Amino acid sequence: MTLKQTNPPVLKLSGVTKRIGKKTIVDGLSFEVRGGEIVGLLGPNGAGKTTAMRMMTGLIRMSEGDVTVAGSSIRDRFKEAIAQVGGIIENPEFYPYMSGFDNLKQAARMTDSVTDQRIAEVIGLLGLEEAQGKKVKTYSLGMRQRLGIAQALLDRPKLLILDEPNNGLDPAGIREMRDYLKQIAHSEGIAILVSSHLLSEIEQMCSRVVVIQNGRLVTERKLGGREAGAADLPELRIRVDKPEEARRAIEALERVKLERVSEAESEVTCLAADADMAALIDALRLAGVTVYRIAETRKSLEDEFLQWTGGNQIA
Amino acid sequence: MLNMTKLIQNEWLKQTKKKSFWVSAILMALIGVGATVITSMFSDASAGIGVDSAVSYLSGMMTASGMGQFATILSVVGTAGIVAQEYAHGTIKFLLIRSRGRGEILTSKYIAALLYTLAMTLVAALSMYIAGGFAFGFGGTGAQWLDALQAGAYGFVYSLVYVTLTFAIGTLTRSTGVAIGGGLTGTMFGGIIIFKDFYKYVLFPNADLAVYNQIGPPLPGMTIGFSLIVLAVYMALFLVAGYTVFRRRDVA
Repeated sequence: MTLKQTNPPVLKLSGVTKRIGKKTIVDGLSFEVRGGEIVGLLGPNGAGKTTAMRMMTGLIRMSEGDVTVAGSSIRDRFKEAIAQVGGIIENPEFYPYMSGFDNLKQAARMTDSVTDQRIAEVIGLLGLEEAQGKKVKTYSLGMRQRLGIAQALLDRPKLLILDEPNNGLDPAGIREMRDYLKQIAHSEGIAILVSSHLLSEIEQMCSRVVVIQNGRLVTERKLGGREAGAADLPELRIRVDKPEEARRAIEALERVKLERVSEAESEVTCLAADADMAALIDALRLAGVTVYRIAETRKSLEDEFLQWTGGNQIA
Repeated sequence: MLNMTKLIQNEWLKQTKKKSFWVSAILMALIGVGATVITSMFSDASAGIGVDSAVSYLSGMMTASGMGQFATILSVVGTAGIVAQEYAHGTIKFLLIRSRGRGEILTSKYIAALLYTLAMTLVAALSMYIAGGFAFGFGGTGAQWLDALQAGAYGFVYSLVYVTLTFAIGTLTRSTGVAIGGGLTGTMFGGIIIFKDFYKYVLFPNADLAVYNQIGPPLPGMTIGFSLIVLAVYMALFLVAGYTVFRRRDVA
């Protein structure tokens, strides 16, 4: 974790804005992605995720602001900047009448350094040995997705920009993709920015999320860690034999906040810091309450997402 | 330079790995052979045709009023999608998020279109030379070779004009269909002459340079040099329009 703090940002957006006519599609977006980090770009439909990713790859022009990749501006030094980027924007697109291998060769001829050996290496990495000779039009969406990752990785990029990388993958494929992305972020220190509609997937894959809505940054949040502040105390569900007694015992405790009591399920729910756990358990025992189970109820990313974006539709 | 060569190689492979390329090439060869067979069958009856070798046959057939017309049509159809298809397949994104300039990419595509046109012209020439050799004999004098070369060059220039027009329309509209329609409609205007002075500045009456040897200037005051300048100006306009739009356009 300390390493990540010191890694310089590979991708840096500063005040990126896109206006078309009077409509502002992306509005002053700023954030960074460092090497070795997987960051999720989240937002409801039409939030501007794909537009933002298109500006990062130079497919569309920025009205204001700038994007730098490894220090080079996409605006002023496009070739140097984009040479560090591997990407899939929307769907991975290939020439359907050519084989997977020929498509990779097409990509390789547009780089300065990719050799046949590197192509073979990438094919091996993504398990495309069997498929490489077949025409892309015969590929399943999952295979196309893998070929997409293969072409994105060809020139050993410092940054991967992946728009919906799990589109069309089956559960096994999604898991494989997740493990693979985690692995390359970790071992090669690649910075990865992904957008996805599958929030649970983002939750399992990303170390941080950037949430945007109506083209603006809503929040930027670390996943897995917990922010300081009362609102972020862990929520505990405690199953007991005598919920009423438990309620009284907890209410007597100063630092533990009772949330609710459920007689039907014989449960009390409260917020307590790790440091106050011992006091809480002692208080329950002294009140003659038998504790059957204590579980932390974690808010899923989905709950939080809906909270951030005001319950807009996601999918 | 190496970068450009590799980009052109990419474009060339995109053309030739499609079946339609070989269908066009074979069709061109068949038309060339077919036309030669028919010509030789009727040339006995009309002995005044003046064809005594495959080479002199070529010099009569390679222009826009002969096989050059077919080469043009096939080239227009074959190159119309060279930019538009990238948009249709979505592969334009694949192409533009590389460390190559948009100008370089469009240049490689235009050169590929020229190579395609050249290939069609050569297939036409070769098929008629071989078929013509059997029909009229393979020999040919040096002067006849020069005539044939000139006719081939005129035919190629004619194709080039309409291929460039098609390329620009395809780049601007991103539609293969509109590009083919535009290019082929252009070739049809070639036969129409409006007898007004302004018309000599229009593209169409200038496209076929062979008329200066055959029937004389389409309109008074036109010369081959004049036509070449008019063609160059139009082609430059088409390309400037295509480049300007292609380089600036947001790819959605």
